Amino acid sequence: MIVFDQVSFWYKDLTETSFRLKEVSFSLAKGCINGIIGGNGSGKSTVARLMTGLMPVNSGTVTVFGKDPYHQLLHSGFLAGIIFQNPENQIVGATVEEDLAFGLENLGLSHAEMHCRIIETAARFGLGSLLREPVANLSGGQKQLLCIASVMVMEPAWVIFDEPTSHLDPWSRIDFWKIIDEFVHHHDLGVVIVSQLAEDLARYERILGFSSGSLLFQGSREEFKQAGAEIHEHFNYPEEWKYEQLLAAEHA
Amino acid sequence: MQISYKPGNGLLYSLNPMIKGAIAFSAIVFFSLNTLGLVAMTAITAVMLLVSRLSGVELGDIFMSVRRILLLLAIVGLIQGFGAEGFSLVDACAAMIRILGVFLVAGVYVTVSSQSELTFFWEACFRPLGLIGFPAREFALVMVIAVRFFPVILGEIDRIRMAQVARGAKLDGGGLLASAAALMPLMIPTLTQAIIRAGELAIAMEARGYRVSAQRTRYQRFRFGIVDLFAILIPVMLLAYLLRPFFYTAG
Amino acid sequence: MLERLELKDLTVRYGRNILLKNLCGSFSRRQINLVVGRAGSGKSTLLRVLAGFHKEYEGSVLADGQVFEPSGNISLAFQNPEALFFNGTVAEEVGYALKMRKMSAREIEPIARQWLQKWGLDPDRCWLNHPLELSGGEKRRLALAACTVFLPPVVLLDEPLAGLDAQGQRDLISLLSGMATDHIVIVVTHEPELLLEQSGSLLYLHADGCKSLKPAEFLRLALADSSFFPLPEWYRYAVRHFAQSSDLPNLRADDVYRFVKTRERMHADQL
Repeated sequence: MIVFDQVSFWYKDLTETSFRLKEVSFSLAKGCINGIIGGNGSGKSTVARLMTGLMPVNSGTVTVFGKDPYHQLLHSGFLAGIIFQNPENQIVGATVEEDLAFGLENLGLSHAEMHCRIIETAARFGLGSLLREPVANLSGGQKQLLCIASVMVMEPAWVIFDEPTSHLDPWSRIDFWKIIDEFVHHHDLGVVIVSQLAEDLARYERILGFSSGSLLFQGSREEFKQAGAEIHEHFNYPEEWKYEQLLAAEHA
Repeated sequence: MQISYKPGNGLLYSLNPMIKGAIAFSAIVFFSLNTLGLVAMTAITAVMLLVSRLSGVELGDIFMSVRRILLLLAIVGLIQGFGAEGFSLVDACAAMIRILGVFLVAGVYVTVSSQSELTFFWEACFRPLGLIGFPAREFALVMVIAVRFFPVILGEIDRIRMAQVARGAKLDGGGLLASAAALMPLMIPTLTQAIIRAGELAIAMEARGYRVSAQRTRYQRFRFGIVDLFAILIPVMLLAYLLRPFFYTAG
Repeated sequence: MLERLELKDLTVRYGRNILLKNLCGSFSRRQINLVVGRAGSGKSTLLRVLAGFHKEYEGSVLADGQVFEPSGNISLAFQNPEALFFNGTVAEEVGYALKMRKMSAREIEPIARQWLQKWGLDPDRCWLNHPLELSGGEKRRLALAACTVFLPPVVLLDEPLAGLDAQGQRDLISLLSGMATDHIVIVVTHEPELLLEQSGSLLYLHADGCKSLKPAEFLRLALADSSFFPLPEWYRYAVRHFAQSSDLPNLRADDVYRFVKTRERMHADQL
């Protein structure tokens, strides 16, 4: 469970116009694809960072499994991993193997344990034959896989994806969603996806909708569909659902 | 063809990175001081190439790269060849083999050493400085990241250049000051992007549990094998040979 | 004003690799010309060739029948064009291309202001602002204004809609289609569905061969084979009975609905 209770957050110098997250409360559970939506400057990325413990909240509490992620991350614990938009800017190692090892070294694991996890994870993501490969030689899709693998190898209970599909071509997007489906429905991994693409929205099973720092909507996919135009206008409403509604209106 | 690490399993590959580095550096010093004369140096070069070949190093790529320094070789040969008694082919060749030797050693070293091995060697060299508070491991990590981002940033500069030239930027202005000003449309965006990248990377590293002060374990392990025990003799012998004048004076 | 940019048997090699093979196609004014393909299918090579930065190629690039001279005739807006900002004010940023074309400050100002207006930015409000102070959508529009203020006959945009929210995308799409009257607009994109309605031609890049298609042909090929291009499931399902139709609808709910209803009615009438 990820629980936000009355969470407020603002960046250092708060002015009248600057962004702030306003007393946001929600909880997310494993077992379904959790999606966070919202336009630019809505606060969705801030929420993702608070979940991983990259920043402390100004008021309220964030808990992942009942623990404070900020505190955990500071003391080299690890609750939720995050994968950012641009694979290029988050690969640290010069080779696949080194990048997989980077997080494990931070966790202070023994060599034997690291070796075991790296081999296993690489095989799972189809990177087994590329362990010694310099990162510069990988394709875009492979780089993204490596980013996911490098977080997964740390065995987080939750993984947060910040705009994961915006850098991918449509073919790679399909592969990406296969992996997510596998994670959520077969591996007991908590998944949160932050994205504003309409086609991603159509895949979420539970939705949090943000607009200028406030939580505008939370609920299931079905509830979101029913939420009405004043909610929908803030987001990229998928054509797929519009079409469904047209068909439904005809039958009514 | 560029010289870069090509994975392999031969003898040279299997050496401990410390030994590899020590051999490479002592050999480079040895070649550049060359005191043995043309015949001996040619023989040593040949032996070195033979060992590399037997270790599975693709010498072709390295030889191809020699073409790039041909001009340098020719010039050095000419300058060194002309002595008091007119042109001496032996002197010219001796001078050339010095440079060629340094180049080949460096080429083979880079080909058989992965990035992590190079880093390990650097880190080990800087480790003594750790006693006075120098962060050797962090420094090594910075080097890895720099090497990793080098091609990325080059690609970016290329794209920015294309776009700014299309807008009308003239990136090759006249004098030094003028050209510095003309480079602004290229420099500022490149720098801005590099800073953004650095920021994103820092956050991503933090999110994966990296703390500068924290104790980290190490995945890469490099063992000393029997071969290393013998190989260590090479740099020891080379250094002993090079330092021999000091022993004489001391004795 | 240029009407047509034509690629004839364009082949680009790099060492032993073939980056583009026998590419044929054309880009015209008054429509958006899309370029679609997987990562690594040669899009960036095509961009470099058109921009005049890759000069070794076989085949030809013709502008209205003449050999195309890229210098001064093409503008490039790469992904995140706001990365190109380097001036201290919006005014300097948008006027830069004119300044480099030896226009005086007095000549530049009215053109620059008018151009900002055209791209939906109020010059009085942002004239002296720092470019990076603008919002995401405004930055994108300023960047595109700065890239096009000198009226280049050809404008090449790489993923112009990426990273914008719904409103930003809608604004930009209408601006882009407006642009097509003055320039030959070429858009490289992973999301052709957003622009299919405004587009007149689509260049499909693939390692096995490239195709120059009409949007409807593209949809038909994609319907027949999802590895050609993965269309959304709902669309495939909705039009599955009419996959051979010559006028397939765009990927918008209303269009698809109207299309399906009309077809069903025609079918019922025939019976």
